[in-house]
Amino acid sequence: MSAPGLSLIARPRSVLPGFRLSMGFTLFYLASLVLIPLMALVLRPFELSFEDLWTAVTATRTLGALRLSFGTALAAALIDSVFGLIIAWVLVRYRFFGKGLLDALIDLPFALPTAVAGIALSTLYAPNGWIGAVFMEYGIRIAYTPWGVLVAMTFIALPFTVRTIQPVMAELRGDAEEAAATLGATRFQILSRVVLPALLPAILTGIALAFARAAGEYGSIIFIAGNLPNISEIAPLLIVIKLEQYDYAGAAAIGVMMLLASFIMLLALNALQSWASKRR
Amino acid sequence: MARFFFNGRSGSRRRSFRSPTEDSAALKLTLSAIAIAFVGVFLLLPLLVVFTEAFAEGWDHVWTTITDPDSLAAIKLSLTAAAIAVPLNTVFGISAAWAIAKFDFPGKTFLVTLIDLPFSVSPVVAGLIYVLVFGMQGWLGPTLAGYDIRVLFALPGIVLATIFVTFPFVARELIPLMVDQGRDEEEAAVSLGANGFQTFLRVTLPNIKWGLLYGILLCNARALGEFGAVSVLSGHIRGETNTMPLHVQLLYDNYDYVGAFAIAAILAMLALLTLAVKSFLEWRYADELAASHRH
Amino acid sequence: MSLVIDAITKKYGRFPALNGAGFTAPDGAFVALLGPSGSGKTTLLRILGGLEAPDSGTVRFADLNWLDMPARERRAGFVFQQYALFRHMTVAKNIAFGLEVRPRSERPARADIARRVEELLELVQLQDLGKRYPSQLSGGQRQRVALARALAIEPRMLLLDEPFGALDAKVRKELREWLRHIHDKAGVTSVFVTHDQEEAFAMADLVAVMNKGRIEQVGTPADVRREPKTAFVSDFLSN
Repeated sequence: MSAPGLSLIARPRSVLPGFRLSMGFTLFYLASLVLIPLMALVLRPFELSFEDLWTAVTATRTLGALRLSFGTALAAALIDSVFGLIIAWVLVRYRFFGKGLLDALIDLPFALPTAVAGIALSTLYAPNGWIGAVFMEYGIRIAYTPWGVLVAMTFIALPFTVRTIQPVMAELRGDAEEAAATLGATRFQILSRVVLPALLPAILTGIALAFARAAGEYGSIIFIAGNLPNISEIAPLLIVIKLEQYDYAGAAAIGVMMLLASFIMLLALNALQSWASKRR
Repeated sequence: MARFFFNGRSGSRRRSFRSPTEDSAALKLTLSAIAIAFVGVFLLLPLLVVFTEAFAEGWDHVWTTITDPDSLAAIKLSLTAAAIAVPLNTVFGISAAWAIAKFDFPGKTFLVTLIDLPFSVSPVVAGLIYVLVFGMQGWLGPTLAGYDIRVLFALPGIVLATIFVTFPFVARELIPLMVDQGRDEEEAAVSLGANGFQTFLRVTLPNIKWGLLYGILLCNARALGEFGAVSVLSGHIRGETNTMPLHVQLLYDNYDYVGAFAIAAILAMLALLTLAVKSFLEWRYADELAASHRH
Repeated sequence: MSLVIDAITKKYGRFPALNGAGFTAPDGAFVALLGPSGSGKTTLLRILGGLEAPDSGTVRFADLNWLDMPARERRAGFVFQQYALFRHMTVAKNIAFGLEVRPRSERPARADIARRVEELLELVQLQDLGKRYPSQLSGGQRQRVALARALAIEPRMLLLDEPFGALDAKVRKELREWLRHIHDKAGVTSVFVTHDQEEAFAMADLVAVMNKGRIEQVGTPADVRREPKTAFVSDFLSN
């Protein structure tokens, strides 16, 4: 991929220097740190027989973990899309005191180390925590149950929906809304038939990004989840457990499943983007 | 846009008039309340908990925890890993952006997708792939062990994990920015006799400096805070291979909650500082940062 | 049934956009608001459309207290400078929008809406383009879709903001005659904003020359040309 391969790439006609150097380094760095190690993951499970691989992936515990990770990530992404839409709308359209602070805070889950978020959420939602105690009065446990996983995922993925929707919303031209009003639409009809459809690609992209982040999340979840096999054990944690037991092939099998999901998400995102650009 | 906002303030005689692009007061109030409540409960409360728990037993306990040799070792390790990973990813980001923005070649979109790939890979999977390459059952592990080189459960592993999870930050900030800026200025510089290095230093760099700083800032924040990938590769050896976030976990699992939250508070302060600088850059240099700010 | 605009004022912050503007036009007239940029003509048009409220002044039209009605009840077909088409809807859906958002009791049957859309597409000579998206049309075609969309609601009044502003000179000339033709056929009072005096004089029954938030002169193209009433008007016309 590096130096010898580069000579196969025709040097583009440009007066600017440094194509081979920058391209060479880019490909070398990308291949050695990302692509080749990822290949090690993809090839590894095949050292098992297909039967063993099938057993590894379809084990009740593995399936339970995958279902929890992906199912809860989807739920969290959907929750974040609703609240992300509202938050973005408030940030783009309204003026009020403290808006700048609200805007800056949105990136907190992204800037705050996940372990810090993990212990903070766990303390907050524990049965004796500020929020956990309130729910305990109604007999609902959040920490150390799948609800805890949902809370952590909702926390971690929020910036992805807000920050995907916000710039698209800011670029919406007011005249389409005005046109709708002169054509007789009520404010509700304007929002549901003109504004929302125009934001749809951004909303879906936000959901996909939030889902990908939540499904792969580890640090903020393991403290609050309780990590009971088949109940509140997420797939990334199961990978860690299998590694600790030196079950490399088993870990790789789950890893491949997660990687596959990432690839599908990437493809979906690309498809979304070309769909959105067609409507522009 | 100005027209929409001026409406409310122009002291309109017709109190009942509302511009068709404006929500009713009731809707405004409801949506603002929902947004503030959601951010308050989901984002602000966890942040508050970190500081209240950290200082629950006063400053002294916090100070003892932070100055504990194991904590200091963790802080040093985190800074070392970031000090290696961030510059490497910065060089990569500049180099990738230069190749992609200043030249045309087939497969460009695919290359950009590949650069973004680490963002969609779970941090634990990122750790896993290096275990599979450098572990004793891995491709390179036995060979390297023959030369007495340890990657897993040592600094190189931690650095690799950090590089992987922060891989795209600088690149994805610079690529759209440099594509936007085109190549006219560089071509002009070259035609005036500047060499490649001079062109980059005197023409390109001044144009991208704030975007570059922005990318480095985010890269650094993530590098100091990374948990999942580092956790897989570190081996959790107290005082040796524990980074700050791992040290938080260790203290927490040993029921030293105040200690865990003391370290967490340092990390939270760093996060807040990052957010403040980020907001400042976005406000002050909005035009000079890339148009699309996605994570 | 005439349009009577009286003493309209409107300030943006401290900037007076309209400063006692007013004129009267008979029913069915085609009125051009002519003036340099910043003279307040677009603001006046937006006030007529219900997109802005004036600080003071009155508008009476067809025995309606026009300014007390919200935009959506006025049925003023508004054609925006950049057309403001709904990008996620097909051309046919764009045109049908005004009919589809009516309350159930007033909404035509689906088949009737479809028939109306077909008629309008024919009127604006875009018969085969109903299934296209706005992004797939040329500027002139988009302009015609915007007009068809405004006509679909059977407007009481037609308001056009620089209707040809974004088109090249050749297309402008063609569309001018065509728009005049459509106006005569529909028979609704129309007000259009332009800074191009040639356009105003070629198309309008009545030209209102605006400057600094006031109407300097209102009259037929011939009258205004023959007898400019103020120094500004004669200056502006001699340019």
